[in-house]
Amino acid sequence: MSDVAVRVDHVSKSFRMYHERNQTLKSAIMRGRTSVHEDFWALQDVSFDVPEGSTFGLIGSNGSGKSTLLKCLAKIYYPNKGTITHFGKLAAMLEVGSGFHHELSGRENIYLNGSILGMSRKEIDRKFDDIVGFSGVEQFIDQPVKNYSSGMYVRLGFSVAINVDPDILVVDEVLAVGDAEFQKKCFDKFAEFKRVGKTVILVSHSMESVRSMCDHAAWLNKGTLKAVGEAAPTIAAYEASLNNG
Amino acid sequence: MNYLKEVLASRELLINLTMREVKGKYKRTVFGQLWSLANPLALMLIYTFVFSFIFRIQLEPGDPSGLDVFAIWLLCGLLPWIFFANVLNSGITSLVSNAGLIQKVAFSRVVLPLSQVASAAYNWLFEIAVLVVVLTILGAFVLPWLPLVVVAMVLLAGFAAGLALMLSIANVYFRDTQWFLSIILQLWMYLSPVIYPVSLVADASEDAGGVLGTPVTILDLYHLNPMVYFLEVFRNLLYDNRWPDPMSWLICLAWALGALLVGFWVFRRNERNLAEAL
Repeated sequence: MSDVAVRVDHVSKSFRMYHERNQTLKSAIMRGRTSVHEDFWALQDVSFDVPEGSTFGLIGSNGSGKSTLLKCLAKIYYPNKGTITHFGKLAAMLEVGSGFHHELSGRENIYLNGSILGMSRKEIDRKFDDIVGFSGVEQFIDQPVKNYSSGMYVRLGFSVAINVDPDILVVDEVLAVGDAEFQKKCFDKFAEFKRVGKTVILVSHSMESVRSMCDHAAWLNKGTLKAVGEAAPTIAAYEASLNNG
Repeated sequence: MNYLKEVLASRELLINLTMREVKGKYKRTVFGQLWSLANPLALMLIYTFVFSFIFRIQLEPGDPSGLDVFAIWLLCGLLPWIFFANVLNSGITSLVSNAGLIQKVAFSRVVLPLSQVASAAYNWLFEIAVLVVVLTILGAFVLPWLPLVVVAMVLLAGFAAGLALMLSIANVYFRDTQWFLSIILQLWMYLSPVIYPVSLVADASEDAGGVLGTPVTILDLYHLNPMVYFLEVFRNLLYDNRWPDPMSWLICLAWALGALLVGFWVFRRNERNLAEAL
C-alpha cells in the first residue's frame, strides 16, 4: 500500500479567459489582434500522491478544478507547471460511448471505441464476450447503435471502457449511468478492481458514493488543495466547510 | 522519429477510423460504393459536352497508346484531382467535427485527418480500378504501368495529407479557413490542367511573351503549381502509357515530402492545445 500509483507534483494549469475572441479572419484583421485575454488559474500548485491500490476520491464544489485535474491526469490537458507521473497503465473514462458511430452496429462500435481507448484488435477479440456480457445487449449486438435506447447505449460504452483493464482508472461522474441493476454491476466492478489491487481515481458530487467507495480523498477549493489523506476526515472537513459557509 | 513511432503505434486506430468513414458513408444507400463513381461520371459528362463538343479542345492522341477519347483523357486527370479536393475538404474539418472526442479521450490526434486521407484513398482506388478496366477495354496497354500508378498515387496522397494536416489545425483557430478553401479549390482546379492540356497554356504563353517585359513567361508561372506535374505523371502513365519525365517525378516527390514535413511539424506543435482551443 505504500507504493505510489500517481504522483501529482506542483501542478498548475491556467486557461485563457477571453474578453474578446476573434475566431474569424475578418475580425482578427479589423481589430488587429486575435484575442484579448487574462489568465485564469484553474489549478494552483497542487501536489499529492495517490497510493497504489487505493480508491481515491476528488471532492470539491463546482468550479474547484476537479475536472481540470482529471483531464490533466487523462492527458487531455497539459499542465503549465509541474508534472504528473503515473506508474502503470492509466485509462480515463470521462464520457462513455465517445466516438460511437450511429449507423454502425454494436459489434463494430465495440472495435472502434476499443481502439480509440487504446486496445489492440487481439485484446478486443479476447474480451469481446465479457464486454457484451457486461453490457447486457447481446440480443442487439448486430443492430446499429442508433436504434439502441439511451440506457443500452451508455451501458455498451461503459462496458468497453471498463474492459480496457488498466492499472489506474480515472473516472468522471459516469457512475450515474443505467438502471439500478446496472449501477450495482458497476459498483461491483469497482470493488473487484480494488480487490485485485488496482487504483481508481474518481470525481463525484455524491458524498454518499465517495464515502462508501473511497479510502483516500483530496479536497480541492478554487484550484488549490485544501486537504488530502484518509477519506473520512477529508470528507468531514469538506462538509464542515459547507455548513459553515 | 519518436513522433513517427507514435503514429505507427496508432495504426489500428487509424484503420478502424478509416473503416468507420468508409462503412458509414454509403450505409443505407441502394447503390453503395457505386455512388463514389457518380460524381466523377457526372463531371465527365458535362465537361466533355462543354469543352470537347462546344469549345472543341483538340488533343494529341495518346503516345504510344493511340487513345483519342476526350472523356477518358479527362478522367485520367479528373480522378486524381477529385481525390485531392476530397482529402482537403474532409481533412480540414476532421478536428473541428471531432471536438467531442478530442475533449474526452486522449489518443493520437493525427489519426483524425489521416483517416480522412485513407478513406478518400479507398474510394479513389476503386475509381482508378474501374478506369483501368475501361482503358484496357479501349486497347490501352496500361497494366504494366500499374505499379508506377500506385507510386504516383502514394505521392499525391502524401502531398494532400501534408496540406490537410496544416489546414485542419488552421481551421481550429480560424473557422473561415474551410470557406476560403472551397474558393481556393475552384480557382486551383481551373489553374491546373484538369480539363485542358498544358499545350494550350504553352501556346497562349508564347503569344503573350514575357510577363511585364521580363523573360518570365506565363508558362513558367503556371508551372509553379505542383498539380501540373502530378497530373502530367498520371496522364503519361494511364493515358499515354509511357515513362513520365524523371524531372516531373522528382518535383512531385519534393512537393509530397515538403508538404508532409511541414504538415507534421505544424500538427505536432499544436496538437497538445487542441482540447483547449476547440
